Amino acid sequence: MKSFIVLACAFALPCIALAADHGPVFSYATPVNSERELSFDSGIFGRSGSLGTQLSTGSSFGYGLTPQITVNAFLPATFGGGSLPESRMVSGGEWSTGVSWRFLHSVTSVGKRVESTASLGIVVPGPQQDSGVLAGLHRAPGVAGSLASGLASRSQYFWVGGGYTRFREASNDHRPDTLSWSGVYGYRPAKLRRGYDKWDYRGFAELTGEHTGNVLKSGATRPGSSTTSVWLGPSVLAIFKDVAISGGVQAPVFRDASDSIYGREHLRFAINFSYLKYSSHTSSH
Amino acid sequence: MKKIIAAAFFVLLPLAAHAEYEQVNLTVFGMDCAPCAHAIHVSMKGIEGVNTVDVDLNTGLVIIKLAPGNSASMRQFNQAVEKNGFTHKDAEVIVKGNLTGTANAPVLEVSGTSDRYALSATAANLDIVSLLGKTVTVVGVIPQAPKGKQSDTLLYKTITEVR
Repeated sequence: MKSFIVLACAFALPCIALAADHGPVFSYATPVNSERELSFDSGIFGRSGSLGTQLSTGSSFGYGLTPQITVNAFLPATFGGGSLPESRMVSGGEWSTGVSWRFLHSVTSVGKRVESTASLGIVVPGPQQDSGVLAGLHRAPGVAGSLASGLASRSQYFWVGGGYTRFREASNDHRPDTLSWSGVYGYRPAKLRRGYDKWDYRGFAELTGEHTGNVLKSGATRPGSSTTSVWLGPSVLAIFKDVAISGGVQAPVFRDASDSIYGREHLRFAINFSYLKYSSHTSSH
Repeated sequence: MKKIIAAAFFVLLPLAAHAEYEQVNLTVFGMDCAPCAHAIHVSMKGIEGVNTVDVDLNTGLVIIKLAPGNSASMRQFNQAVEKNGFTHKDAEVIVKGNLTGTANAPVLEVSGTSDRYALSATAANLDIVSLLGKTVTVVGVIPQAPKGKQSDTLLYKTITEVR
């Protein structure tokens, strides 16, 4: 019952740099909020491996300062004690805040956009301790940056992106810096290219990858703690006016990680709920 | 003197109130999904005087119908598009206004707003000399303006006197 309440009350979004309401659930994408648009995302993100399962939940808030600049904040919580590698594609226990800037925005035809978005944020340790090899590490704030580019249209979507998170050292401990990347293809069948007063569905194939550096504990590098993994899986996004629900699963297609430290992570899944509050404000003439 | 000015004001007021946009069919580029259209709908409905808004995602056409007596301006419609990160293209309009200027350089003034258009005929045989100084209904196209700007030209297809 306790778990159910926890899950019902707080859901997670992967992290500030990742797309949510308009895009894929795992990957980097370009959409930002409209001017004065307030967005709220909440979801659950799960990682399952041979050494345990970890659920992350939390809430993300975004506000469009301009049509191209959105500020956001992410407040997560984690449950479960799996010994899993550091990840920035999925949320951990870090709180974060940042800004996304859609610096390229080219509208080429009805329904079609080519755009690029850069995000920069601060990551700070939350109140929860990590588990596994990361447990007991002195934690320090970090900086996260990402870049995504791609195409959005009525029929197809394509985005590629990458991100890097670097943590500061604290008392000779250092969380692994993380390099992550993603590529996603989305498709909306002709039958579903309907009016905006009907549910809007699209499907994605999401490929994500991460490389995490070594864990530093008391000034000594933990041997074999660096990891590289690539994940692939489908996701679906459904939107009706100002609400969106998305979900997806991923399985590993490549994994280079120590089994003795991390076990074998074999599944990631996510469910995300979004509410978009658009502004009706316009200046007087 | 004050009474004359006041009397003139109240005599002219009903004429001025007729000058307004009746319908704006605005083509918008960049909307790919339902929330995009919903955002445009919300923004357009937030403009005072807008009665109904219909958005067609597949054609990018946003049809705005306005209430009589409104004072909504083209700048507001364009701004509603830009704030959502999209691009406005040509707008087909049905607009009432006061026809001023000269036969060679007619001007449509949409009183109640700051909108003022140099009129240009899309057909050669449209004679508007007899309409100068009158309130008219114009059906035409306002060409796309650069972002943050407003077109000062209206390519009219028909122009008729408001009776």
